Amino acid sequence: MAAQAQAAPSDLGPRVVMALAGLVFVLLMLFGLLMRASQAGMLPLEPTLFYQLMTAHGIGMVGTCGFAGVGVMWYFVRQYAPVTTGIFWAFVGLFLVGVVLILAAIFLMGFAAGWTFLYPLPAQSGGVWSANATVVYLTGLLLVGVAFLILHLDMGWAILKAYGGLGRALAWPTLFRGAGNPPPPAIVAATAVTIVNTIALVPGAAIILISIVNTLVPDFGIDALLAKNMIYFFGHVFINATIYMAIIGVYEIVPRYTGRPWKTTRVFAFAWTATLLMVMAVYPHHLFQDIVMPPWTLVMGQVLSYLSGIPVLVVTTIGLLASLYGARVRWDLPLALLTLGVFGWAAGVLPAIIDGIIVVNKVFHNTMWVPGHFHFYLLLGMVAMVWGFMLWLTGTRQSATLGGLANVLFWVYVAGGLGIVATMMAAGAASVPRRWAEHMPQWQAVDVISTGFAVLAVLGALYFLLRYVAGFGGKPVKAEAAE
Amino acid sequence: MQATVLWVSVAAIAIVAAVFFVVIRSTTASASAQSVAKSAGTIRQILFWGSLAGGAALLYVTLTPWPHALPGEADDPIVVTVTGSQWSWEIDTPEIPAGRPIVFAVTSTDVNHGVGLYDGNYRLLNQAQGMPGWTNRFQYTFTEPGTYRLLCLEYCGLAHHEMIGEITVTSSAANLN
Repeated sequence: MAAQAQAAPSDLGPRVVMALAGLVFVLLMLFGLLMRASQAGMLPLEPTLFYQLMTAHGIGMVGTCGFAGVGVMWYFVRQYAPVTTGIFWAFVGLFLVGVVLILAAIFLMGFAAGWTFLYPLPAQSGGVWSANATVVYLTGLLLVGVAFLILHLDMGWAILKAYGGLGRALAWPTLFRGAGNPPPPAIVAATAVTIVNTIALVPGAAIILISIVNTLVPDFGIDALLAKNMIYFFGHVFINATIYMAIIGVYEIVPRYTGRPWKTTRVFAFAWTATLLMVMAVYPHHLFQDIVMPPWTLVMGQVLSYLSGIPVLVVTTIGLLASLYGARVRWDLPLALLTLGVFGWAAGVLPAIIDGIIVVNKVFHNTMWVPGHFHFYLLLGMVAMVWGFMLWLTGTRQSATLGGLANVLFWVYVAGGLGIVATMMAAGAASVPRRWAEHMPQWQAVDVISTGFAVLAVLGALYFLLRYVAGFGGKPVKAEAAE
Repeated sequence: MQATVLWVSVAAIAIVAAVFFVVIRSTTASASAQSVAKSAGTIRQILFWGSLAGGAALLYVTLTPWPHALPGEADDPIVVTVTGSQWSWEIDTPEIPAGRPIVFAVTSTDVNHGVGLYDGNYRLLNQAQGMPGWTNRFQYTFTEPGTYRLLCLEYCGLAHHEMIGEITVTSSAANLN
């Protein structure tokens, strides 16, 4: 078993990926700001443009979370398993070609079916965008999916070579027999991500292809409910996997500050195996209002929606808190952002779990509550972890402690993020629908406040990006204990 | 319901935030890693088993009766068919009485829509997806006469936000006449 770190390939790839991801995050946050300002009536956009921005914001954020997540995961996995640098660059190239096609479809050809491309909307635009726009968008999406697939296949192969089997890489000998010398947490998490994403990408690619054919040959179609199941299975697994990839940064970096290693224990192995299984079976919680679904699937969605929050809270969150408690760390921006990321994940799943109760979902589904909770565990969770990783990666060229402007902008980002999610959740509780280009006057006071918070979040993100760019050639932070 | 959910969520988030605050404050002092790990293990066990027990109770309370249950024939429901098309609702019975269970049968002629049943103050009362080829049914019994609205809750294209229908609920007595 190759438990020791090997001579790792260059980290230029992850550095470039993180730079691109950071840039796109800021750009897409500006799109989000524009949409909130438009809903607030402060900067009204034509619905055509609003829904294009909404589509770009959604697919862009999901794709970029995956892109950045791969950057974090690959950076650490390459230290334990012989991943292929050429495949990583092929992933980057294919991903970027896909992005170009997606952007062209949206902003040059008017495609605006939302990131979920819910069948059969891409083919039935009501005369707003053409069949060509749909084909270009879906082809771009397919290329992005293929990029992830080859990356995961290479990573899976490298893990197999290094650890001799996926079960071993998931620490099953430790889980089931209490065996020693398990793989590091990064490998356990990366293996789980590789398995679930590879599985999810298959129906994802299938429904994309079906939608392309349906667009070109409208007589060829499939059942709308089956299509919805395929899309939400793929989408749910993929977006959750982005968080699982980013959390690898927490497992690897935080111990360097606290001096307390993050070990693969039996509980840890159990949590990741449970997560692996649950993340693939929980997606019917997106379909609670598709009442014709077999009732057992909806019950399963509610049960697993609740249970899948437990590993997050009981293992990773407590693991981080135990690592930090009384550890006399010297706080800097990377550690603060990584800690914020785990907080955002842990706190953000709570309103998601509550929305995962069918009776609650009846009056919260597709209201602003939904973007409220997913911005919590993405903007303040996954993306905060990504900023933390980026600033750790290039940290030697930056100040060592969390003070001055860094401190101010960190809290500006936190305040902005919390304000965005709080106003979205309040709007959801007031029954405001999501994905509406125009809001009624009685909803706009909250939108105005939300827009203000969005400005703060963008400012914080811009600062993190600029610091990353300024320190691009720097080395990872070597944390020291506080004096 | 909505206000309760909001405040329960805020309280739960505040508890998580408070725990993080306490732990972050603790990083200025030293504590033995071994004793912290032991305490964390105990907390983890309590949280794990507590979450399972709490979850079982929550499951029972929230799934009985079945949230999507429809009234039986003995309840004498009125069926209102709502059909979505880009970008309007066709409602076969736009005037209905208060006091009798109404079953909304929701479908679509083109893409996915979502019917959100809103009261006069734009508070969401219930909903279901409207899918081509399928009919989702949900029930609601109106207690107050007035104007209610159907808002689209599934993104369906350019005029999604303009897809608003109206139903009038009359008093039971008026309807009996």
